[in-house]
Amino acid sequence: MRIKEKKLNLNRRNFLASTASIAGLAATASVVPISISNANHKDGEKGLPEFISWKDRNALIVHSDKGIETHRSAIGESLITPNRNVYIRNNMPTMTDDQIGNRNDWKVSIEGVKNPKTFTLAQLKKLGHTTMATILQCSGNGRGFFEHKVRGSQWKTGAAACVFWTGVPMKAVVEACGGANASAVFMTSAGVDHEPTGLDPKKAMVERSVPKVAFKDAMLAWEMNGVPLPNAHGGPLRMVTPGYFGINNVKHLGRVAFTEKESSVKYMKKSYRISPIGKKGSQYPSCWEMPVKSWITRPTDETGTVRAGKVQIVGVAMGGTKKVRSVKVSVDGGKSWKRAKFIGPDLGKYAWRQFAFEANLKSGTYNIASLASNGSKKQPELRMENRRGYAHNGWKDHSVNITVV
Amino acid sequence: NTIADEAKMLKGLEIFNETAACAGCHTMKAAGAEGNVGPNLDTVAGLTVESVIDMVTHGLGVMPAYGEEEILTPEEIEIVSTYVVNSAGK
Repeated sequence: MRIKEKKLNLNRRNFLASTASIAGLAATASVVPISISNANHKDGEKGLPEFISWKDRNALIVHSDKGIETHRSAIGESLITPNRNVYIRNNMPTMTDDQIGNRNDWKVSIEGVKNPKTFTLAQLKKLGHTTMATILQCSGNGRGFFEHKVRGSQWKTGAAACVFWTGVPMKAVVEACGGANASAVFMTSAGVDHEPTGLDPKKAMVERSVPKVAFKDAMLAWEMNGVPLPNAHGGPLRMVTPGYFGINNVKHLGRVAFTEKESSVKYMKKSYRISPIGKKGSQYPSCWEMPVKSWITRPTDETGTVRAGKVQIVGVAMGGTKKVRSVKVSVDGGKSWKRAKFIGPDLGKYAWRQFAFEANLKSGTYNIASLASNGSKKQPELRMENRRGYAHNGWKDHSVNITVV
Repeated sequence: NTIADEAKMLKGLEIFNETAACAGCHTMKAAGAEGNVGPNLDTVAGLTVESVIDMVTHGLGVMPAYGEEEILTPEEIEIVSTYVVNSAGK
């Protein structure tokens, strides 16, 4: 199938000439009426879309302009992932400065509390202040290891980062509103990034419910690694739900409600459900708490051949919603395991720990793997097969093959 | 055959911009599309007719399931998917 571009372009011009514009076209279509938001997705420099042209292209794998993964060896060897290396996975277009306006005037409403209130960002800053390190991980991180053909970005390990957030504890916000309704079962957070698109909120609004108890450790963040929260990561205000998958950390936050029922939007009811292959529906578990997981970041197939002798095998390990307790490393594909050392600072149970294992390797090929435990659960060998390729924490697929010379 | 292929591509363009309004949400230069909800199709790695048919049929996130919801016929889905794979990045 080859068609001359000239011909196609000519026909395209004719096609468009008969209509007002693409937006006009879409407005007459019955499926997805839309007003095109301020475009910030044009190619910027370095082969990255404009809205993240400040990122480090060399640290990133571009699946699309809205799905950008961090290289396995670039998630941060100093524990925290630098902003310029943090992955991008956005369900709605990143809001622009124009759409956001004055950041201190950004509003969030708090509902399902004794005294519902709307706070500006400036007012939130008076309610409390905290800093916390948490892991941000896409529900589909590891999807690229599944063998059935799964729709969506084929992430391996790099839809994950460990970052410092600064903001106000959700607890302080709730207290300022007289407490959450006793009848509430969920904390439901909604973004407003769908608004400029004009799409049906039931289908496009990123609104996520998590068990109410999550509010005790949650925070509303306006800084990420010491700088104002970048728009691309949900600025100026984002819900941070430590220990929960990325989708629950709602970007461009406009509303938090304590509710008796789960949100009824598509992103809650239909998407992000962990169902068997060939099945789907809201009866299956939602992507909430992250499981225990670890992976090696060096050496890998990305870091080239390894010199024989002493080799430092390093990586990251997380416990999910519990503290990670131990990591073992195997250099023989999981036949034998030895305990690795945790290194670097412990930034709390919601951050990952770095680990290092010193191996003495002769020339040859090795399959190296890591296996983390949080005391009550450890990584399984195999992935949990599921339709959408979510929540992969099996150690075998995350192992790496290296050549020692 | 070439004429048939061109006719198919033009039909694909029409489905892309009008029938399915893919252009409302996706950027693809060849179609003059500048939507910014879903991925810019000129940037998506590894598109195949099979993978696009799968995506269009079943949808993902805010993207409608054009097949499951019978918004497009299987034939239209095959045509628009072929068009996208042969137009993206060009």
